[in-house]
Amino acid sequence: MIELKNIEKYYSSKGIKHYVLRHVTTSIKQGEFVSIMGPSGAGKSTLLNILGMLEEPTYGTYEFLGEDVTTLNERKRIELYRNHIGFVFQAYHLIDEMTVYENIEAPLLYKKVGSAERASRIADLLDRFNIVAKKDLFPNQLSGGQQQLVGIARALAAQPSIILADEPTGNLQSAQAEEIMQLFQKLNKEDGITIIQVTHAEKNATYGSRILHIADGVVKDDVSVKPIQAV
Amino acid sequence: MFKLNLKIALRNLWKNKTSSFINVIGLAIGLAACLMLLSYVSYEWNFDKQAKNWKNVYVAMTNVPGEGNKIAGTFNGSTTALGPLLKQNLPEAKYIARMDYGTKSLIANGQNSYKKNSKFAEPDILKLYDYEFIAGDPKTALNNPLSVILTESTARTLFGTADVLNKSVRYQDKENLTITGVIKDLPENSSNRFDFLMPWSFYEIIDDSAKDLNWTNYSFVTMVSLNPDANIELVNRKVKDLVKAATPQTLQSQPHFLYQASRLHLFGKFENGKSVGGDIEQIWLFVGLAFGILLIACINFMNMATAKSEKRSKEVGIKKTIGANRSSLIFQFLTESMVLTLVAVVVAIALIELCLPAFNSLLNINLGISYFNTASWVGILGIVIVTGLIAGSYPAFYLSAFNPIQTLKRKISAKGFLRISLRQVLVVGQFCFAIILIIATLVIYRQIQYIKNKPVGFDVNALVEIPQDGELKTKFELFKSELLKSGAIKSMYQSSVSLSHHGRNFMDITWDGMTKPENTILFNQVATSYDFIKTNGIKLLEGRDFSKNFASDTSALLVSASAVKVFGYKNPIGKRVNLYGTNAYIIGVFDDYVWDSPYKSNNPQVVFLNPKQTGTITMRLNNANSLQSNIETISRIAKVFNPAYPTEITFINSLYQEKYKSEKTLGILSNLFGGLAIFVSCLGLFGLVAYSAEQRTKEFGVRKVLGASVADLMQLLSLSFIKMIVVAIFIAVPVSYFVMNKWLDNFEFRTEISWWIIPIAAIATLTMAVITVSFQAYKTAKSNPVDALKYE
Repeated sequence: MIELKNIEKYYSSKGIKHYVLRHVTTSIKQGEFVSIMGPSGAGKSTLLNILGMLEEPTYGTYEFLGEDVTTLNERKRIELYRNHIGFVFQAYHLIDEMTVYENIEAPLLYKKVGSAERASRIADLLDRFNIVAKKDLFPNQLSGGQQQLVGIARALAAQPSIILADEPTGNLQSAQAEEIMQLFQKLNKEDGITIIQVTHAEKNATYGSRILHIADGVVKDDVSVKPIQAV
Repeated sequence: MFKLNLKIALRNLWKNKTSSFINVIGLAIGLAACLMLLSYVSYEWNFDKQAKNWKNVYVAMTNVPGEGNKIAGTFNGSTTALGPLLKQNLPEAKYIARMDYGTKSLIANGQNSYKKNSKFAEPDILKLYDYEFIAGDPKTALNNPLSVILTESTARTLFGTADVLNKSVRYQDKENLTITGVIKDLPENSSNRFDFLMPWSFYEIIDDSAKDLNWTNYSFVTMVSLNPDANIELVNRKVKDLVKAATPQTLQSQPHFLYQASRLHLFGKFENGKSVGGDIEQIWLFVGLAFGILLIACINFMNMATAKSEKRSKEVGIKKTIGANRSSLIFQFLTESMVLTLVAVVVAIALIELCLPAFNSLLNINLGISYFNTASWVGILGIVIVTGLIAGSYPAFYLSAFNPIQTLKRKISAKGFLRISLRQVLVVGQFCFAIILIIATLVIYRQIQYIKNKPVGFDVNALVEIPQDGELKTKFELFKSELLKSGAIKSMYQSSVSLSHHGRNFMDITWDGMTKPENTILFNQVATSYDFIKTNGIKLLEGRDFSKNFASDTSALLVSASAVKVFGYKNPIGKRVNLYGTNAYIIGVFDDYVWDSPYKSNNPQVVFLNPKQTGTITMRLNNANSLQSNIETISRIAKVFNPAYPTEITFINSLYQEKYKSEKTLGILSNLFGGLAIFVSCLGLFGLVAYSAEQRTKEFGVRKVLGASVADLMQLLSLSFIKMIVVAIFIAVPVSYFVMNKWLDNFEFRTEISWWIIPIAAIATLTMAVITVSFQAYKTAKSNPVDALKYE
């Protein structure tokens, strides 16, 4: 599904190159649950952003679903966002002016899904995440964990094939964090959604099937793990 | 999608109350001012364009030759002979109607008598203007000489009803006329307005000058309707040739040409026989003013929107990652600005309804919004859409271009420098406009004051005039002695024209030692009776007033100082001047006084004795009595002489006030809209400061903890804004100095732009801005640092 070859990313200031990523080569298959780990400033988030096409690598090739996307135009990229990629952010990034319902609805509107289909998908998501009662509330009326649930529901609304999550539990208490990770695992197992997450916490990584350890922009280690079983 | 956008737009409006309020009120004021000015512009623009074929209606203009083959002046008068000549020899002319300029005359139904605007015209007038007949037949209405067409309101005033066909009214207490038509009142924005219209054939009966076909008396108007396919240039060449062939050509011959009648109102200024604009310049000024104010309000909107961009950019970033493309974001931001503009226009219409009566009375016009007129709605909607687009376009394109990852990482400050500077440019632009308007107001005001303070040449106080109607023409001497006996007046005279007149120019004058065979300078003439100078108090430089003691005064002449200059006489008293082929001798020279335009020096003037040329009676009131009793006495005595006529006493004072009207209007408008511009600009400034304060709450908290005083913080927050105003002042001052100097150049008598105007405008603007900014700055600086630091 994802093929990275020799990805490099650096910023040059005053003629000196500051490498963020060096020689990153890896491939991620459909249905994997990958955790990217490493110390602060290792380049985890940059790698995730490149995977999400939010940043362009300075060098190297990136194929998404067999298509070279390093030099994709905006229209095609948005097409991918609409159909294949769902983002989950550490700071949730819900739209403050929209209710829970509208936040989940937004990607469907951009995807131009018909209203009946929209209503049923949202109802389904609200139901699945147990937030039906919250659907008319605004993000600032929810707890962090609830906001992140909405964020995930929004990411799932467009039925993506992959979810990119940047420290999804970074702002959450441990109980809530666990809940989110279990949800991810469930999505991965039951719906076959590919999940790539950046995380600090060793515990979160154990929910996945593979861990990429990054330090100083280089992939140090790539290990498969046997995921712990959700309760 | 659209529905959601709309919902979110409304939510945003509601959530950010301060900025919404500033935006809505600013835009509403801008829109109200714009719509009000535009409705005035459309009122002026549609002058004389009500008739279906207004495009083909022309008026005969006359060029007055001047020095050295130049054309000294152009006016819309023509002779009685022109109309018939064109009718016979100009195939392109479909209809031709001669008329008089219109005057006020008495019309009565029994005892019910009024002085109303009357007009004489040939029957073709009804084909030129599509008067809407309520009763009567337009084909025959003006056929019988003793007929009259009334407007609906005249009929109602006289009879209490519009159903008055075939009834009779009495004209000037002399003739009974049969009402052959009642028409709807004429629109206010038409030049040839009247309250009742009488046939030209009747005019020929009562006035010999109308009957006499001549090429010398230019006191009439000739209207021509051409065939739609006529080439006006060709027609004008023909007119010129026809007139040339029909009259003997001299240096004083005045060539005619046809000019589109509807253009006369706005393009009525001629130089050397060519149209060089006219009131249209004022119209362009108003259009500029209208859109200037609207633009200021739009700039407020743009500034507020971009100031909030940091917050909005996060939203843009999120939306982009969930699949929004740029156009959908642009559409969303434009929806927001459209919603806002729509709210603003509703407020604006309410504002207009509130202010229009005052506006109307200020400008002395009668405007209203026609709610049942599709055109006005299309116009309003058009302005809303344009405003929404202008106000929303910059934020829409600017915000939608954000890169998602940068916005989510809050890294947009990289572009900050450029953003701030554009906002600064807009603010500077706003205040430039406002300062220019303030300076303009001050200069216009100074100019009016200058002209007002310029002596008119005589004591206007205690001078009144009444029209010389009915018996006052024949029994003038008796009337005079009665009034003098009553003690209400000190002295009085009759004259062909009022003291404050225009027109009555002529060229048929020669003097001794003339270098040219014929005179080409326009002179002004006044025919009067005894006590001319005694009454009006114009300064006599040499010689004496007309006097009964000198029988020879029937051929005596009073001339103005400028006339003496033209004659070139060293000792003018007793010198000979030839008027219309008759010799006259100068007995006195008076100082030039203001009679036509107070802004330029007037033509040389000659005054002669001729009791037959009646027109106006001018009186100097006796100050020993109260004004009221004087007026009552005059009315009472006039009523005895002229029972059928109402007495109209006009103060010369007010006639001179009238002369400043157009400049006063300009002054009022630039004052009003200058004030609005400042207000809206300050509103925008307030919004920006408020936002900047909100953003920097934390910084201020930290600074306070570190020991910054309230004054330090206020300075920190205010200085950058004050700087912009100072920049605006430096730009606006030279611009307005240049523009206003140009404006003043239009006047022969003009004031200089005083140096103190500039600091006054600058300090006033700066004060307003400082008050605006420091109000918010103080509030922020005073707040408790702990609150600020807890925040986040």
